[in-house]
Amino acid sequence: MATLEKFVVETTVEEEAPPYRKIVSDIISDLGMAGRIAKIKVAIRPEDSLFQLVAVVRGVLPQVILKDFAEIQKGDHEGEILITISVEKHLPRLLQILWDRYGRDSLEQPDRWTISLFVDNPEEEIGSLENLVVDDPRRTLKSNLADMAIRVAPEGFRVRYHSLNGNNFIFVASEDTMQKEWIDEAHTMLKELKGDDASGSSA
Amino acid sequence: MPVAAVLEPYVYEGGVHKHGLIIELLEDLGGYLVQSTPAATEINLVMLIPRKDVPLMEELAKNILGKLTRAPLTGTEIAVVSPTLAYHHLPHSACDVAEHLRRDGANTNMLGLARGMGRRVALSQDYERKLINEHDIAVYSFGNFSDCIMNKKPKLFSGVDVPIVATGGPDLSTDDVEGADVYVGGIGRVSHRLRNEGEIDSLDVLNKTVGEVVDKLREEISRDPLAVLPARVMKEIKEQVPEINDVLTPAPITLQLDGMRVKLPFDQFHEKLEQLDLDEDVSLSDVANIMPSKMKDYILIKIRRRSETGFTI
Repeated sequence: MATLEKFVVETTVEEEAPPYRKIVSDIISDLGMAGRIAKIKVAIRPEDSLFQLVAVVRGVLPQVILKDFAEIQKGDHEGEILITISVEKHLPRLLQILWDRYGRDSLEQPDRWTISLFVDNPEEEIGSLENLVVDDPRRTLKSNLADMAIRVAPEGFRVRYHSLNGNNFIFVASEDTMQKEWIDEAHTMLKELKGDDASGSSA
Repeated sequence: MPVAAVLEPYVYEGGVHKHGLIIELLEDLGGYLVQSTPAATEINLVMLIPRKDVPLMEELAKNILGKLTRAPLTGTEIAVVSPTLAYHHLPHSACDVAEHLRRDGANTNMLGLARGMGRRVALSQDYERKLINEHDIAVYSFGNFSDCIMNKKPKLFSGVDVPIVATGGPDLSTDDVEGADVYVGGIGRVSHRLRNEGEIDSLDVLNKTVGEVVDKLREEISRDPLAVLPARVMKEIKEQVPEINDVLTPAPITLQLDGMRVKLPFDQFHEKLEQLDLDEDVSLSDVANIMPSKMKDYILIKIRRRSETGFTI
């Protein structure tokens, strides 16, 4: 957890904060998000059934487009498109997208770096394939952040509000009707977290 | 005479090689094998050994390079109740609690309530309460906030008649947790396996506390003893109902302090169990109530006290 610039957990009873801090850090580690979050603050008021989490995430990586890591050309056979990849880590996601779009029967994998795709009109398809978005880190980050917040929050708090605005994430949960003050409070918390650099260092 | 005064609960841990000698000696001494759990080349034998013969067993265990340790919770069935079966409670800490209790010989059942989460919305169902009441003790696994444990969660205890041990993160006294017989702190909500020194210490305290509750229950039973020892009934079932040997669950007959759960279908087997010969002219139905269990279609046997039957065997 050393990569976090600021990590605060506040509870009504002071002694109850450290165990909750451990839960938050365990879940961040489990989801492999330690490198993605710059600052985080969690506040819990059990007597009000209220859980608030605000976080500032680090700059999000750009989208991964197929032509960035693969060469796409016509194959020797009729209707064949040959995709030769240079970065293997995107392969599972790419295969899933191609399977969904063209069906498993249209694809062959002669080796781990090559995909043969059989379509009716290869010229048109090559154009659309080049700009295919294989991975969108921003979308993944959003779902991971929501997943983290839901896991961290007490189980019964199922009335939830969350927002990801730029690099700022806000999550409020309760078991009672959501109140506007709680969300406003979370926004203030976020402002304080971003503005307070006293204990943080710029990474 | 109380069970604990005659038979001592022990667990043998060792290799499968020659473990038959332990079982043979146990039978010769008049003890009972409660559970046998083989795992590859290792085996765990949970047994009740006559107190005066324990040194004999220790010597044999030493000779075949096994380990014999006292397991004070042997012969008990404990419900480990968590507010739900969601990842907030499982596998840590509720499973860790159950595992630690099993190390002392207890049989545990994990019981996740359908709607036990939250504060205002937490509640238990009639079926769940009846199921918990079939156990000897209920261990409730709660979270980290004293406000929840003191003010909101105790409503989950209502309708539970068996002794309640509550666990949670904060260091509270038992009086703070209304309805609980004992409260053990230091075991709250965690997202990692309980293996640090302080955490294992808290689990040890829990085992010790549950052991004290079991001792109290055994003492209470000894004042008006059971008409027959549950371990003896178990032995008779194994001999007279051969179908029990085909049951694949880890503990086909799960002993309780005042009875047992037999994991055979009630409809098919209750008559056979009622007619089980225990002694001349004494069948099981004369000394025990045989009823359907709330757990699956199992059979629950609760042995009557001497004051009710007028005799012990």
